[in-house]
Amino acid sequence: MGQSKSQFTEEELQDYQDLTYFTKKEVLYAHQKFKSLAPEKVGHNKNAKLPMSKILQFPELSVNPFGERICKVFSSSQDGDCTFEDFLDMMSIFSENAPKPVKAEHAFRIFDFDGDDMLGISDLKQIINRLTNDNKLNDSEMTMLVQNILTEADLDDDSSLSFAEFEHIIDRSPDFLSSFRIRL
Amino acid sequence: MSGGGNRKKNTRSQGWEDAGSDFYQESYPLDPEFEVLQKDPKHLHTLLPSKQTRAAVATIRMRTNDYRSNKSTVRRHTASRTRSRRDSTVHRRTSTIGGDVQLSMLPDLSEMKTNEESAWEEVMRLKELPIPMAQKKEMKNKIMNEPNLRLQGYENFNWKRRKLWTHLEARVREFLQKIELWKGSLRHIEGNFGTGVVAFFLFVKWLFLLNCGMCLLIFLYLTLPTILLDYDKSFNCTDASLACSCTESYFNSSQSENNVVLEVMQGTGFLERTILFYGFYSNKVLSYMLSGVEMYYNIPLAYILVMLACFLISLVLILRSAAKGFKERLVESEGQFYLYCNLVFGGWDFCIDNEKAARTKHKAVYNEIKAALETEKLTEERQGRTRKEQYKILMSRLVVNILVVVILIGCGIVIYYTFDFSTQKIVHSTQEIETNEKLLQLLYEFLPSMVIVSMNIIVPFIFRFLINFEKYTPIVEIRFTLIRTVFLRLASLVVLYASLLTRITCSRPSDRTCTPCNDSPECWETFVGQQIFKLLVTDFGTHVILTFIVNFVRALLAKHLNNKFFEFIGEQTFDLSKHALDVVYTQTLCWFGMFYAPLLSLLAAVMFFFLFYIKKFNCVINCKPSPVIYRASRSHSMFMVVLLVSYLFAVLPIAYSIYELMPSKTCGPFSGENTVWSLVVDLFMSWPEWIQKCVFYLNTPGFVIPFFIVLVLLLYYYSAINSANRHMVVVLKNQLVLEGHDKQFLLDRLSLFIKQENQKRARAEQMRDRDRDSDSRNT
Repeated sequence: MGQSKSQFTEEELQDYQDLTYFTKKEVLYAHQKFKSLAPEKVGHNKNAKLPMSKILQFPELSVNPFGERICKVFSSSQDGDCTFEDFLDMMSIFSENAPKPVKAEHAFRIFDFDGDDMLGISDLKQIINRLTNDNKLNDSEMTMLVQNILTEADLDDDSSLSFAEFEHIIDRSPDFLSSFRIRL
Repeated sequence: MSGGGNRKKNTRSQGWEDAGSDFYQESYPLDPEFEVLQKDPKHLHTLLPSKQTRAAVATIRMRTNDYRSNKSTVRRHTASRTRSRRDSTVHRRTSTIGGDVQLSMLPDLSEMKTNEESAWEEVMRLKELPIPMAQKKEMKNKIMNEPNLRLQGYENFNWKRRKLWTHLEARVREFLQKIELWKGSLRHIEGNFGTGVVAFFLFVKWLFLLNCGMCLLIFLYLTLPTILLDYDKSFNCTDASLACSCTESYFNSSQSENNVVLEVMQGTGFLERTILFYGFYSNKVLSYMLSGVEMYYNIPLAYILVMLACFLISLVLILRSAAKGFKERLVESEGQFYLYCNLVFGGWDFCIDNEKAARTKHKAVYNEIKAALETEKLTEERQGRTRKEQYKILMSRLVVNILVVVILIGCGIVIYYTFDFSTQKIVHSTQEIETNEKLLQLLYEFLPSMVIVSMNIIVPFIFRFLINFEKYTPIVEIRFTLIRTVFLRLASLVVLYASLLTRITCSRPSDRTCTPCNDSPECWETFVGQQIFKLLVTDFGTHVILTFIVNFVRALLAKHLNNKFFEFIGEQTFDLSKHALDVVYTQTLCWFGMFYAPLLSLLAAVMFFFLFYIKKFNCVINCKPSPVIYRASRSHSMFMVVLLVSYLFAVLPIAYSIYELMPSKTCGPFSGENTVWSLVVDLFMSWPEWIQKCVFYLNTPGFVIPFFIVLVLLLYYYSAINSANRHMVVVLKNQLVLEGHDKQFLLDRLSLFIKQENQKRARAEQMRDRDRDSDSRNT
């Protein structure tokens, strides 16, 4: 930890502590993790921009079916490449201390593949396909499942889920907080 | 469309702006979005105001300059607790944006300016914004650089205190995280098996901490004073009371020499008269000198108070932990609200960190989705069942239930007779013990515990086999097996209580003065404690043997021999409910035995510490990831319900014994009393009269009846509010659907209108072209 400590000034650390759900020590720990993805590059420039393929080597993200989306949502250049600050943002949202509404906001953006601010049928299908991976549901099952989701949650009957509807689901979902979390 | 008719002659741009202002009240400038719209009117819904606020969030990175006005929209969804605070800041923001004129007109200037506290609050809230770090930093700088009003006096103090408090909180959190027990193990399990299984290990940890707490309490207030003040048991009975002489004879009676290891395992011999068991604690008020003043420590009173405190603390902690789960379950159970949504949106554990676990998880999610869809089909099918089939299923369920009851009763009888048999053998053989009989003796000692434990292992298999005939849905199946197994475990405990009770009370009065009857043990509380101690040790031993020898060998066989048969007997999944029951059973024994062997909680804490590793070994090494998804919340509430039921089963007999049974005269803090409770009553009688009067008044009908009526009224009031709210939810939902339909209707109309406009314009252009063509031709 002593090495990476020299890379940050006290002021920067204070900034990071104020602007994330981490303490200074955790920020440094996060930087260690970030550094381990590409030791040389980050050694040169502590806030180096790593390509998405590098970020996806982070164990939790590498097996996550939504890993790519997560990178894109948190990337400040929106192409999936992340600087350390983007990475820190990401980890902060996934940390234990982030409150439910904040997590829900980001979950919605991760699930919204086409970026139209609604979870439409195509979004839902993509989520399900990514969840089941190799075991594909057949067409009738897929339609049935999407239909069931919409009957449950689509309150205004426009066959897509708005953010308000999504947040309502998350509010009622007891497991969301424990599952939408990455331990640093 | 009638509107379309009016604007027939409008040129293209005019028509657009008019339509825009008609429908949205705000005029949108010619936007790229409109260009898109023109081509495809279906995109109209993206322009709705409700979508615009979300779009503001998405595009916030473009407009950091006036982030403050955006921020209120970004955070529109935060909980209402911050609303009042936010309203004031929003108000302030609008005024600063609106300009100085407005500002000067407002009376209270200081309200409108930021002060240090609100600036700090704003900085603290920046972390909630979904924007990149660079912009957050920029905003922070902006806020910090703005002129602030300095807080003064009490407000300043208050703010400093809050700031310090958050700082301290972060520090404490950091410290706690550093010393957090089993952090690495939990992470490892979570990465491989998901959150549901981790919930079990967190439960074990919770029990470990609970036992540590209870143990600490008992040690500080009970054991430590006894060790310090009352360790040498020297008896010189000056008063000729019966209790004293009995105690003297108990402690001076010869102790049979035996193997130390065996004694430790059974809790007899030298271990019997230590601080581990009830019998060691004295019934005296201990006195000691503290800086020249004589102080008193009332051991019997401390004993009962500490025990009551332990039970109360356990109850409160269980209820607190369970209440959270109950609330969630209640919400969930109201018509299975979000079954599929939870499956899809909460399906993935983001903590999974390796390929193998991910593959299992994919498979598990797939299975669960399939199962859910199939269950739906099954319910439809069930409605289509013929009457004959229904009768058949009903009959088979009846038969199975009768079988289960018979098995439970059978187990009870077996346990009762084994206990009877083994105690008889032991009593007879105490006269002369030969070396070759020692082993037999040991066998008799442990026979009841072994029978109970082996039944707990074998009978659940029978239950799991029987449930197949009942044709329940999978969830109900799991629940039924669990309930039956819980009953088995508790039934065996009840039989144990009953047989213990017959041992320690008897109808024939004794000729010996110190014990109630001839064949009862000298100090029955210690005897009960020993039985529980033995049971705990046996139970723990079986866990060790099963995990490290039986299951491990099975797992090895399955892994290294590619044989169908070995795979069948060897492969195991981590059955959460079974393991939870194991742990809960240990805790039940601990609660029950705690009154008779105070330091049993220490033993339990040690056991839970090792159990964590044993179960981890079982989970990580022996088991394959389960194809069933365990939901963290659901399993947690299941653990808590089972724990609560077992708590009642442990505490009720103790309450009975405290209130009804006569403590043995030979030993313990309550020797000489009629019941344990009488001590408390005596203490109460020595209190000031007005307190007694108050308490007695609480018992009179004059208080109880009005109190009861008020309670009923309150209950009625809340249930009325509840039903009204429920009705309101339905009404609002319907209204929402109607609004949605209205919106869609309007949007359809609008897009139709735009389409017509486009067509008209195209036609007009065509006409113009034709005109021009004809003109040119004419010329």
